Amino acid sequence: MRTLVLVINRLLWFVPTLVGLMIITFTISHIIPADPVAFFAGENATNEQIEELRARYGFDKPLHIQLINYLIGVTQGDLGVSIYTQRPISEDLLSRLPATMELTFMAVLLSTVVGIPLGVIAAVYRNTMFDHVLRVITVSGLAIASFWLAILFQLLFAMELQITPLQGRIDGWGPEVITGFFLIDSIIAGDLDSFTNAAAHLVLPTLTLAFPAMATIMRFTRAGVLDAINSNYVLYEQAMGFPSRIIIWKYVLRNALIGTVTQIGLVFGILIAGTVVVEAVYDWPGLGLYAVEAILNSDYNAIMGFTLITGAFFIIINLIVDIIQGVIDPRN
Amino acid sequence: MSFITVFRTFAVLLAIFAISMTGTPTKSFAKSKFVFANSSPYDTLDPHVIYDVGRVASRLNMYDGLMRWLDNPPKLTPWLAESYDISSDGKKYTFKLRKGSTFHDGSPVEAKDVVYSIERILALKKGAFSLFSKSLDPGSTKAPDAHTVVFNLKKPSSIFLATVPAIHVVNSDLLKSKEVNGDWGGVWLSKNEAGSGSFELTRYDPAIGFQAKRYANHFMGWGDKYLDEIEFRTVKEINSRVLGLMNGDFHGTDGYLPQDQVKRLAADDNMNVMEEESMRIFYSIIHNGRKPFDDVNLRKALSYAFDYDSFINNILSGSVARNPVPVPNNIWGNPKDEKGYTFDLEKAKEYLAKVKQPIPEITIGALTGYGQTEQAAALLQNGLSKIGVKSKIVSEPWSVASKKMRDEQQMYDLLWLWRSTYYADPNNWIGEMYACDQVGARNNSWYCDPEVDKLLMEARVEPDQAKRAANYKKAAKMVTDDAGGIFVYNTKWFGPYNKKVKGVRFSPIGNAQEMRWVHME
Amino acid sequence: MILGLIIVAIAAPVLAPYPDDVTEFHPAERLMGPSVQHFFGTDRMGSDIFSRMLFGARITITIAVIAIGVSVLIGVPIGLLAGYYRNWVSDALMRVSDIFLAVPQIILAIAIAQTLGASIENVILALSATYWPFWARLVYAETRSALNEAYVEASIALGAKPLRVMVMHVLPNISSSIIVRTTIGMGGTILTAAALGFLGLGPPAPSPEWGRTIAESREFLPEAWWYATAPGIAIFLVVMGFNLLGDGLRDVLDPRTRRSTSD
Repeated sequence: MRTLVLVINRLLWFVPTLVGLMIITFTISHIIPADPVAFFAGENATNEQIEELRARYGFDKPLHIQLINYLIGVTQGDLGVSIYTQRPISEDLLSRLPATMELTFMAVLLSTVVGIPLGVIAAVYRNTMFDHVLRVITVSGLAIASFWLAILFQLLFAMELQITPLQGRIDGWGPEVITGFFLIDSIIAGDLDSFTNAAAHLVLPTLTLAFPAMATIMRFTRAGVLDAINSNYVLYEQAMGFPSRIIIWKYVLRNALIGTVTQIGLVFGILIAGTVVVEAVYDWPGLGLYAVEAILNSDYNAIMGFTLITGAFFIIINLIVDIIQGVIDPRN
Repeated sequence: MSFITVFRTFAVLLAIFAISMTGTPTKSFAKSKFVFANSSPYDTLDPHVIYDVGRVASRLNMYDGLMRWLDNPPKLTPWLAESYDISSDGKKYTFKLRKGSTFHDGSPVEAKDVVYSIERILALKKGAFSLFSKSLDPGSTKAPDAHTVVFNLKKPSSIFLATVPAIHVVNSDLLKSKEVNGDWGGVWLSKNEAGSGSFELTRYDPAIGFQAKRYANHFMGWGDKYLDEIEFRTVKEINSRVLGLMNGDFHGTDGYLPQDQVKRLAADDNMNVMEEESMRIFYSIIHNGRKPFDDVNLRKALSYAFDYDSFINNILSGSVARNPVPVPNNIWGNPKDEKGYTFDLEKAKEYLAKVKQPIPEITIGALTGYGQTEQAAALLQNGLSKIGVKSKIVSEPWSVASKKMRDEQQMYDLLWLWRSTYYADPNNWIGEMYACDQVGARNNSWYCDPEVDKLLMEARVEPDQAKRAANYKKAAKMVTDDAGGIFVYNTKWFGPYNKKVKGVRFSPIGNAQEMRWVHME
Repeated sequence: MILGLIIVAIAAPVLAPYPDDVTEFHPAERLMGPSVQHFFGTDRMGSDIFSRMLFGARITITIAVIAIGVSVLIGVPIGLLAGYYRNWVSDALMRVSDIFLAVPQIILAIAIAQTLGASIENVILALSATYWPFWARLVYAETRSALNEAYVEASIALGAKPLRVMVMHVLPNISSSIIVRTTIGMGGTILTAAALGFLGLGPPAPSPEWGRTIAESREFLPEAWWYATAPGIAIFLVVMGFNLLGDGLRDVLDPRTRRSTSD
């Protein structure tokens, strides 16, 4: 019941939050002194040429009218046209989405696959050398600037050892686009070259992006397992003489994992913030790079579109986490 | 699903991931395919909406013009036209088209296509539009017969011929069939091609680049050595371009790499670095219209406070040539005997002492992402601090700077940037940078001197090149003497190519990216 | 470590072997590798990177301290008010902070920094504007639970004024959480500030700000590896210092919240 109330409450706030987000972003992006039209029209443009383009894109109208027009457009699924690429924002975002999702998915995979077991081991063998080493890694993971880590990886693996590509998503044209995920598309096309090439390009960005997320997951898993181990019923089971291995798998992990799952929202936050910088360094053609380019080019509609989509995604993730939390842990 | 199953699934995926990590890029190219790594993205292929040097390859290789710039120093050469005639009043330009040239769909290139192309430029108001907006009215260009085009200028212009290569001729019948809502076929042409050029488009992706194959029926004909296929791919990061060149993925890249990277490439056995003096001057705009910069003594003090030698010889390792005037060294109209300014703090102080007005903190503009502009700004700031002038550096992206440049209030006191070749005529530089009628548009210095302006205006209508040259030389000396800007260098172009690549022809307009002359051994 | 950083930041002019190299250049000596004269080599202008990194610490500390200070000053009162009163105003305040938390901080910070133009002041402004909701959220939640404590309820029942309850009873009760959050927040703020600098939105050249130094170095890789390495290590050490300090403070001040490593 409480969960239901919570969900309904969240849903009710979903639209107002997004509208608020749009107003804030709109205000921020439209007082930029830059002129995307002048930029787009080029160095050779005359002033009349610029005025005419500005009128064509509706930038000559007062700000609040522009905002209202924009909001009306959004309700009809129209996010406007990018002044820079000349394509609809929704088309641009959609074409960039698979690249970011592929990268984020691999990073989630890597960080959970490595982070959870290491977190468990660290908790079980707490205060051993192993635990201390992992602790250093955890602390570093949250202290390292991801753009710097990315550059270090490039320097070492791509420039010196030359075993990975420096940047980009694939060499050349890539497999025929079906899902937009190169790994999947190349398997469908039976194109092994594309698969290995795309995979090789994924390695460094994934490692960079996964590092802080992995540190976070490790930290929560360790804390969760420790809490569970110290809880009464585990002590009871131990007293009953169950082998410790079974206790850990059966009781401790389940409870600890619940704690970790509820932190997924946090992990996603780290990852989405991470893609912005990581994609910029690796020239990864995803949403993060799109956002940075849009901001640097003062591409209003693109900035708004990106913020809207990210915000919606973020709110939905948090909503799902809240629901899961409510379901598996009704005490809260 | 128990944890074990989850774990097992993860383990399998991890294994796949590990395998994929060992994969390396494979490379195999047809023998005569040339791959060029370009720093700017090919957002659109429409030849009439863009007019920058960074994306010149799509225009030069897939489209032809009536005239074309070739070689260095650039020579204006008849191309689709076989001859031209200028009326005695300088207002009527008649071009005779050569017979037998065809578009990629096989239809002949005719006068109506040229007329359609210029009308399209005038209607879209993008790209090269500003070159023609002052001289041509829509509807004024005529095609008396299939092979004659007549341009009727509003007033005589001695630079018109130099801008004709920017009229890339499109297939009018084809485009008219692709027109949607009066867009002149714009949506279609941004992703497709309707030209007669040496190569025809085979593949395009705005995020990757374009591929094109040789057009065997091109009017110029082909010798026995040529490229079958060309690919221009966007590779933004310098290091990726350099690494790709060294391991043979790319055969060429643009010639404006940082000098440290040029050295690295020159040392590579598979690479051949061509060197040419380009026409791309680096200078600092001074806002002459703002107090106290209207005082020539202050401008001279600024010009004496920049360490030209350190910048050119140390920071840029001598990879550029000192260019002390607002006209490139290697074009006619450059006053060869003008030495300009040197780094001389004593003289700077002398001139500074003559400035009557109070000197506020000076804002020096630089362009984000263009390290050289920041380094020049820092070096100037350092020089200024030694003569007791305070300054701050503002580094902003081109999108911001290009807006501020047009606004008298928002314009920085000083701004470092380059001026590239759009057409090889001194008017492209001094004639626009310091002409009164360009103030706030292409004259971002708010510099307007009646004497200089008279010389420039005369040169714009005078047909005789020798007389024009004399005017430009005189004007260049006057602007330099007036310290209208801080003029530093003219760029050298260092084109890195794979050793197998032969026949590259460099021209400052197009930066050697016209591939019809090139072949591979 | 943090103490060391602050000492470094204050004493940079004394510690730096070439204190003038923030604005002084030696183009003839550019891009030299690490040596006894230059521990971390020289940069694109021939300046000593080690000296510049020490001065960079000043910039970083200034940005982080002021930005966090402002965030706390905005966030804590909002959180207190919203937590204490249960009406539409408190709801609205929390919704506004939710809006700010709905997108990654770095996106809003980039947008604001770009709007205002690249400078130290604007980085501070951008960070303050995007980080205050963290404190508002935290204080809100802590206030709500503090209000349930018996002694707070008692003082309200005895007719204490709201302001008095907030300042005298609630605030001391939740101050340890605020201190822990603030310390850890320093690390995150420094990382975001460095990212802004890296993207060209921080203080302009020739500022020795760490993020922009890393961005500058990219075109000189792989030859000048030291150029990119030194500032990254500096960022790492400082952020790690704050994170460890935060962890330590949490263990000492607030064992209750040890589990909620909310960052």
